[in-house]
Amino acid sequence: MSVSVPLPHPRGPLSGYRVLDLADEKGQLCARLLGELGADVIKVEPREGHATRANGPFYRDEAGRESSLWWWAMNAGKRSVTCEPRVAAGRELLHRLAAAADAVIETSAPGSEEAKAQGADPRALMRANPGAVVVSVTNFGQSGPLRALPATDIVASAMGGHMHLNGSDECGPVRTTVPQAYAQVNAQAAVGTVIALYARGANGGLGQHVDVSMQEAMTNAMDNAQQTWDLLGVNNRGPGSGRMIAGRQGPRYIYETADGWVAALSFGGLMGPSANAMIDWLDEAGEAGPLAAPHWRARLETVQPLEADEQALLVGAMERFCRPRRKDELVAGAQARGAGWAPVYGPREIVECGQLAARDYWVRVPHDDIGESFVYPGAPFILSRTPWKQRGRAPHVGEHNDDVYGGLLGLADDERARLRRAMAV
Amino acid sequence: MARAKRPAPLAGLRVTDLSWVGVGPTVAKYLADHGAEVIRVESATRLETLRRAGPFLDNEPHPENSGYYANFNSSKLGVTINLKHPRGPALVKRLVAVSDAVAESFTPGTLAKLGLDYEALRAVRPDLVMISMPLFGQTGPWSDYMGYGHVLQAAAGFNHLTGWPDGEPIGTGIAYTDFLAPHFGALALLAALDHRRRTGEGQYIDFSQYEGVLHALGPALLEWTANGRELERLGNRDPEAAPHGAWRCADGRSVVIACFTEEHWEGFRAAIGRPDWTDLERMRRKPSRLREQKEIDRHTALWCGERTAAQAFGAMRERGVPSGIVRSPEEMHRDPQLRHRGHYRVLEHPTMGARTYDSPAFRLSKTPGELTKAAPLLGEDNERVFKGVLGIGDEEYADLLAEGVLE
Repeated sequence: MSVSVPLPHPRGPLSGYRVLDLADEKGQLCARLLGELGADVIKVEPREGHATRANGPFYRDEAGRESSLWWWAMNAGKRSVTCEPRVAAGRELLHRLAAAADAVIETSAPGSEEAKAQGADPRALMRANPGAVVVSVTNFGQSGPLRALPATDIVASAMGGHMHLNGSDECGPVRTTVPQAYAQVNAQAAVGTVIALYARGANGGLGQHVDVSMQEAMTNAMDNAQQTWDLLGVNNRGPGSGRMIAGRQGPRYIYETADGWVAALSFGGLMGPSANAMIDWLDEAGEAGPLAAPHWRARLETVQPLEADEQALLVGAMERFCRPRRKDELVAGAQARGAGWAPVYGPREIVECGQLAARDYWVRVPHDDIGESFVYPGAPFILSRTPWKQRGRAPHVGEHNDDVYGGLLGLADDERARLRRAMAV
Repeated sequence: MARAKRPAPLAGLRVTDLSWVGVGPTVAKYLADHGAEVIRVESATRLETLRRAGPFLDNEPHPENSGYYANFNSSKLGVTINLKHPRGPALVKRLVAVSDAVAESFTPGTLAKLGLDYEALRAVRPDLVMISMPLFGQTGPWSDYMGYGHVLQAAAGFNHLTGWPDGEPIGTGIAYTDFLAPHFGALALLAALDHRRRTGEGQYIDFSQYEGVLHALGPALLEWTANGRELERLGNRDPEAAPHGAWRCADGRSVVIACFTEEHWEGFRAAIGRPDWTDLERMRRKPSRLREQKEIDRHTALWCGERTAAQAFGAMRERGVPSGIVRSPEEMHRDPQLRHRGHYRVLEHPTMGARTYDSPAFRLSKTPGELTKAAPLLGEDNERVFKGVLGIGDEEYADLLAEGVLE
């Protein structure tokens, strides 16, 4: 039976590699990105389907194992096989799949007895294929006192220090609603995977273990808070609406407009040098007030942080200026005057953004199975010779069993029937 | 018996790093920290933005005292070339001719004006891999827009999706995309370098930071394109977990708790002593609990407010409930887990002394990365690079110095 996905991608920079994806939320995007760069990615699922198929949101709000938008987003363009490592024949099959892979992405908890019993722990996988790059993406890494601590996105956001830097005084720290610890660790794991693949090629096929920590991935997303503590003994913190510069709270830079919000880094600190052009602009609109005075111009041009009373004056002028205007108009005006402003966009505005349209960013992905097609994010980078490619919709549970077990592993029909009887697939 | 040390994973690669500020230097740092020889090109005539940005040692602004700059530039060599000097671009070309890759993040068109765009550079190095990485890419109406990660996060949806439902789109409080985009840039560059290793072919990468970071919001974008509904910021709630959030404890620190499964919920109940409200019919199954988040939050806040964060976290941890404490930067430096992992590396800098640097979130077991040196001083490695790598003689070097090419 021919299958419609994944679309072939022989021109990708990573074409020729095969990646086995045993991952949960911490590694599925990593594997997907490798696939979009050309690798053949095989997602391994239990017979009932991977647990992340139950992650919402769902298409038309109808929960089901083929309708999770999370699943669609993270697993598009992969092949799917079912494999049941709880039975011996399944473990053997898993190790045959690992033996055919260049890289294995796995997310089992360090020291997990369950993973060991299934032959799915990193040690067993490396034994199955000593030449493979085995990438273990875990909450806190393979070693250390917290290695076994259960974690989800918000736990890593907290324990990685990232959440300390935002939120508000009244309500405390806040997480980004779309999980960023998961996104961060996936993207960073993908970098580690390709470094190990490069080293493998340069070192004559050297396989190795890549140990990735979700906590550390968020630790790396603390801006300059680490160095601020190290150099000055000051804890940077929120609120997120302003910038904290070397432990001092800068003026707010999120302002309400007639049609939403605008991010307006404009005065103080490094934005100082563009201050005069901004003051002229406010002045033209009759909103500059005292800011137009020479001593204010001189003050705002410097890179020295502003005192609280200076900030209050400035924020007042900016609020009055932005409130009646449209955000795109404000951004265009600021950019024309050399200030890096941007609109606050939600999902709809992002999808309708002219910049992305001009670059032909979005990809329409056919879902032949339900007779629909949907718009997905496009190339995260444009490679001139070996382009990124969206590989089609996410697979159904076990959609590629025949394809992989028959084609790739070369198992005969009766062997596959035996595996089915043994409940291995 | 000591075994011969394996070479670093990217040993043998040389990178000319023309980039600046956050994203470009972080991409090149990945390569430097894994053994590539990365030559960071700067100029004293137009100082790198982050050398002018704090935190500074002793709060003294000075180009060699910025921790912000230092952290992004470990393991690199530092040279100075005045690109505006008539002889500057030719010197850059000589460097590129012996490099495998070039990284840059100027406004589109800047390098072309200097005769240093990809077409010009591949004339001197046909198998070059070059990555350009401004905010919005090389084309389109916003291609010359400027900005930093603080505002790109707004255009990319992170403000819209961070904050409380009835409040403003406060965002992450940091230049968030500066700490997300580099992973996508590095992935593209490394994949292209691996293709080059296998085929000998170089290429050009037009990396728009905006287009990369949107992949961190996949489900929210599909929620719009497939369901026609916009996801809104939910504070610390999660559409699929209850309780889920951060609560302030008696000592002022915040604890986070996330109950996605019935197992988590049972652990949570046990941890807080199975109070009556948890036994109510509407609390028994997750779908109905999700409708009772307000009440659950209220009880959880009261419970957390009566104990320290360590006590609350300890109780959850004992019962296997995903939980943690919101760590401050100070606590991060003392965190036993990060200590054990050696996440923060201490490197000796000539003017700043022994300072901590971030390291990659991944470790390779056989060919690990290593932060080999602190960030370079301006022009610290001029002689080593221009004489040693390019083979420039003493006379020509003196002439370049006298002419101001190396400023």
